[in-house]
Amino acid sequence: MELRAALEEQKDRLGHCVHCGFCLPVCPTYIQLGDEADSPRGRLHLMRAVVEGRLEPESDAYQLHLDRCLGCRACETVCPSGVEYGFLLERARALAVEARRPPLPVRLLPALMARDGARSVALGMGRVIRGTGIPETMAGRLPTTGLWGRVGLAMGMLASSRPSRLDAGSDAGKAKTRPRNDPPSRGRVAMLTGCVQSGLFAHVNRATRTVLEANGWEVVEVTGQGCCGALHAHSGRLDQARELARVNVSAFTAAGVDHVISNAAGCGALLRESGELLEDEAAEAMAKSVRDISELLAGEGREPVRGAPLPLKVAYDPPCHLHHAQRVTTSPLRLLESIPELELVPIPGAEECCGGAGIYGITHQDLGGRVGRRKTDAILTTGCDVVATGNPGCQMQIGAGLLAAGERIRVVHPVELLAESYRRAGWS
Amino acid sequence: MSTTLPLVPSLPLALRGKLADVVGDDHLITDPDRLLVYESDGLTQYRFSPSAVILPGSAAELQEAVRILHLEGRAFVARGAGTGLSGGALATGGAVVIGTARLNRILEVDPANRLARVEPGVVNTELTRVTRPHGLIYAPDPSSQSACTLGGNVAENSGGPHCLKYGVTSRYVQALTVILPDGRSARLEGASRGWRGPDWIGLFVGSEGCFGVVTEIEVGLIPEPAGVRTLLGIFDSLEGAGRAVTAIISSGILPAALEIVDQETIRAVEASVFAAGYPTDAGAALVVELDGVEEGLDAELELAATCVRDEGASEVRIAQSDEERTALWAGRKRAFGAMGRIAPDLLVQDATVPRSRLPAVLRRIGEIGDRYDLTIANVFHAGDGNLHPNLLFDRNDAEELARVEAASREIMEVCIEVGGTITGEHGVGIDKRGYMERVLSPEVLHAMSEVRSALDPFGLCNPGKVLPDELPARAELPNEPLPALDAGPIEVESDRHAAALLAAASREGVSVVIGGARSSGAPPGPHLRLSARGLRGVIDHSPPDLTVTVGAGTPVGELQEALLASTQWFPLDPPGGGATTIGQVLAGGLDGPLCTGYGRLRDHLLGATLVTGEGRVLELGGRVVKNVAGFDLLRLTVGSRGALGLITRLTLRLFPLPAVDRTLVWTIEDPLEAARIGMRMAATGSPVAALEWIAGEFGGESPSDGRLPVGALVAARLHGNRPSVEAMARTLEAAAGVGPRVLEGEESAGWWERRARREGTGAVSTVVSTLASRAESVAEATHRWVDLGGRASLHLVGGGVRLDLDPAGERAVDRARALLDEVARAGGVTPAPSPELSGVLGVFDPAGILPGRWRESWS
Ligand SMILES: Cc1cc2nc3c(=O)[nH]c(=O)nc-3n(C[C@H](O)[C@H](O)[C@H](O)COP(=O)(O)OP(=O)(O)OC[C@H]3O[C@@H](n4cnc5c(N)ncnc54)[C@H](O)[C@@H]3O)c2cc1C
Ligand code: SF4
Ligand code: SF4
Repeated sequence: MELRAALEEQKDRLGHCVHCGFCLPVCPTYIQLGDEADSPRGRLHLMRAVVEGRLEPESDAYQLHLDRCLGCRACETVCPSGVEYGFLLERARALAVEARRPPLPVRLLPALMARDGARSVALGMGRVIRGTGIPETMAGRLPTTGLWGRVGLAMGMLASSRPSRLDAGSDAGKAKTRPRNDPPSRGRVAMLTGCVQSGLFAHVNRATRTVLEANGWEVVEVTGQGCCGALHAHSGRLDQARELARVNVSAFTAAGVDHVISNAAGCGALLRESGELLEDEAAEAMAKSVRDISELLAGEGREPVRGAPLPLKVAYDPPCHLHHAQRVTTSPLRLLESIPELELVPIPGAEECCGGAGIYGITHQDLGGRVGRRKTDAILTTGCDVVATGNPGCQMQIGAGLLAAGERIRVVHPVELLAESYRRAGWS
Repeated sequence: MSTTLPLVPSLPLALRGKLADVVGDDHLITDPDRLLVYESDGLTQYRFSPSAVILPGSAAELQEAVRILHLEGRAFVARGAGTGLSGGALATGGAVVIGTARLNRILEVDPANRLARVEPGVVNTELTRVTRPHGLIYAPDPSSQSACTLGGNVAENSGGPHCLKYGVTSRYVQALTVILPDGRSARLEGASRGWRGPDWIGLFVGSEGCFGVVTEIEVGLIPEPAGVRTLLGIFDSLEGAGRAVTAIISSGILPAALEIVDQETIRAVEASVFAAGYPTDAGAALVVELDGVEEGLDAELELAATCVRDEGASEVRIAQSDEERTALWAGRKRAFGAMGRIAPDLLVQDATVPRSRLPAVLRRIGEIGDRYDLTIANVFHAGDGNLHPNLLFDRNDAEELARVEAASREIMEVCIEVGGTITGEHGVGIDKRGYMERVLSPEVLHAMSEVRSALDPFGLCNPGKVLPDELPARAELPNEPLPALDAGPIEVESDRHAAALLAAASREGVSVVIGGARSSGAPPGPHLRLSARGLRGVIDHSPPDLTVTVGAGTPVGELQEALLASTQWFPLDPPGGGATTIGQVLAGGLDGPLCTGYGRLRDHLLGATLVTGEGRVLELGGRVVKNVAGFDLLRLTVGSRGALGLITRLTLRLFPLPAVDRTLVWTIEDPLEAARIGMRMAATGSPVAALEWIAGEFGGESPSDGRLPVGALVAARLHGNRPSVEAMARTLEAAAGVGPRVLEGEESAGWWERRARREGTGAVSTVVSTLASRAESVAEATHRWVDLGGRASLHLVGGGVRLDLDPAGERAVDRARALLDEVARAGGVTPAPSPELSGVLGVFDPAGILPGRWRESWS
């Protein structure tokens, strides 16, 4: 079995796990279920058992517990041995799906995303349905379990992807001083426009472009790009993921930019790991140039240009693939802090996963729902007006959770807030 | 070492059904593949798959499950987070694992009384996270604290870097609810809850899950230290670092933590992704952490830095911020993980040696490593003498594995040879059973085994752990004639003498009273009265180790006198003062005002010799500061009031004499106002040595005209260096709003001694447990006692009031009794009924000749 050999090659990486258990208390599935097989250490132990030939990849245990993993990688952040769990999970999942074909809905989404045509049709339909306002009305009115629960969640997610109006303070007080019309050019960047992001969150992409330009970055159009392949990698379809990654690596390399920018945490994490995924130098070089939008604006000693006041109480929820996978932890906060009069309120247990994890809420309705409710409850203790988070999946998951709880709190991308502040300053 | 048990007896279907009915299908795991993840804990040398795992969601479910397993004769073992490093939570012989992950609620936080009540699955750091907003923390901080559970901590009596100053888990547990191996529930409470009898909590803490499953834990919290300073010293040699530790300890500072990492460890850390910036050519690095009153810390830091420099440090770094503090600790905290990166396998040892022997032991460990051609990296709690040699190897290399095993054994032998022990904090579990005979006498092993059988006659609760399967043969009991009865008390001269007398009494079924009539009353009929008064004097004092061994008949004052020359002392001010003997304090579970700042005698008791009612001599504990080798029979002797036998000598951990000893006394006319002021002072969280509300006539304070005194005193005792004592005094004075009378040095000590001498002398003399938050109502009730002519002293931190009275006439006695009830009601503590654990006493006193058996209650 070729794939088993691949996992076996990772024996060393598995061996780094000293079984200390430090990762248990941060794992959302362990928090919910209390079963060590649903903890990072337990999953690694199952992987090791497969390598040792003591467990079959088609066994219920291997399938069930690897499938239940959210891929949030909170376990990596706390691991004192630096176990690369995310990397191992992708290989372990590849082995799992090879051993047993996953059910249809699980196969459907990655297949859809890999095909440009099908993807635009699907996302286009999504926009149409969203435009009717029905999803918003339905979300929170449907039962939370069974098929209707799934529909309700999907509707809530769709509803949460629409652009938000940010009502705060008066719009009138436009800034008197115009921004520097041409801020000194800092460099050239290319934006990963993404599939869900361009399909449902075009407004986030627009906001990203606005803030980039206002801060002196030249945004280069890169046409040959496509889906990043994160969804595929996470679900064990490594070959497909590699194919998609190759497309992007060559497109972005050809563009010859200083940085490739991502505004979706999951996609950014994949781009950053394309070196490991493809094991080639071009990919490695491209990966090194990748930055999250918040890093480019407010990381590495930079500070965003200040816009007009935006008197909102904002709770920032770090997406796992930004916080744990990319280890980008402070720049989103710095970005938000740069907005005058914006008040940041901390979410208790912010670094815990929201339960979004792709379509986890649909495939693992009960567990995903429980993880999600923990997040919703935590957000509601903050008394915030708006939640900010830098990943479309999280925006939709948290939004759906809040809608289901009957709350009207909006969930936006941090750059949307910055862009709004610039808009009020009359710069765009 | 590598042990796998492939064939696990599976669970019969009927039993499966019963368990599922209790915990629910989702929380019963029986698929052998899924059970694989439970085969190891933090120690991966051993693999034992359980036959099932249940994850109860409530204490009631857990109890019901244990009851079923007991009826079916199925072995079971509790499991917290599985971070244990001795294989304690493994399911040997196909036992059922009872996981506590779902029992993770913090049931109550009571800031006013500095208490928290939790379920066993609560993670250690989670508790402090919740209590910190109240300015309180849970002190024991095992390095695994972000993951390990309080249930596991209780079972292992876990320690941590800061236990040098704050003590281990046992010091903080105030009450436990335990599901005993037969499914009965027992509520165990400590002295602060009104319990007067053997220290059951002490016995259960550290019992490694062999005496039942803990379902509820009540712990004490401490105010978060106001300030902290961290220093890193880099040394060319390990010896230098070791000498610096000795110098710091001798300078009179009590650091919060003293940790050393050696050259191999530094190299491992620096070679890993966790490089902490320690120089790789250094021989050792020493982390010193000081905490306490902010104002006193700079002077202490200076002193510590001087010690470090004088002992040849090539570099001294001092943290100026929280980030820098984290950075200085990094090399220590990341050691374990870093080693996982440089070697496929890792064996962590956990031995404790008297601190003064550290340099010699380390040298010999180095030699052993060289001889076996192995990399041994040392990380240790240097202040406690607790070593963690890490042996790095590759399990696939059979020959190397054999060398690791041999080297590991030799290291243990070296530690034992110098008076150390085989485990300081990780427990015996499966891993160290083979060494038990090397550190414990056959007598002690048998006693431990019998206690376990008394609690778990069918051997169902965590079998195959702690004790070796075969016990060595024990000595014959002495067979000497019983002396004439009623010839007055016999002063015991030696262990042998006591053993002969007790064995004879047991044989003849003659009741025995130990100590004065005051402590245990008198049994019906003819009896033998034994006294330890003759066992007087210091037997061994090791100033660099801060330990002393004394005869049980030594008066406290005499002990302090003997220690003075080395500027050390044992903080103890029991009723009766310096005239009370150490043995009385131990057996009576006595304490005084100083327990507020220093803890009780039980918290610093390292060893004792107990001659049991049967006439067996048990050497319990040892001379080392941390010791979890086997069940804690030592702690059981505390407060046992002669129920286990006669204690002939004790080993105690000492303290450096404080540079400044100051007492502040406020005389306040309204006793209730005095209580309120005292409570305000307690609420400041100042680390006072003592803080008391005192009323009634007592040594030196009563007016000379013979009238009863009015009002009450609030007295605070402050220990530390001058700046910290002054800062504390300012804080307390601000809380009081008025100025006190100030006594310092001998005057201060003398004042408390005079007061103590008057305590415990009344014809009616007792302690009533009260909640600290009820100080005002307690003061109100107590003042009526004072009106009757009594004396009273109330701990404002922690609660508890000592009452003495010489009632004139029968009516006064009745009135006094009624008042005691009133005080108890006001105090808000309702002691739980005595737990049914008399079987344990039978181990020590099979013939039932001691007060624990012939007396009905523990009052
Ligand atoms: C990296 C690392 C560092 C460590 N550092 C320290 C340290 O500094 N100091 C220290 O003392 N230890 C340390 N340990 C050891 C370990 O963390 C402690 O022994 C801890 O208390 C175990 O807790 P746990 O919840 O993981 O218990 P487990 O490992 O699950 O169980 C340990 C024992 O407790 C029993 N038990 C668990 N819950 C209950 C219950 N509710 N009732 C009765 N028995 C129960 C089990 O049966 C078992 O015998 C360290 C471990 C690691 C991996
Ligand atoms: S924290 Fe890391 S080393 Fe520890 S058990 Fe988890 S994965 Fe293994
Ligand atoms: S990735 Fe998240 S869900 Fe998966 S094991 Fe790690 S912490 Fe748990």
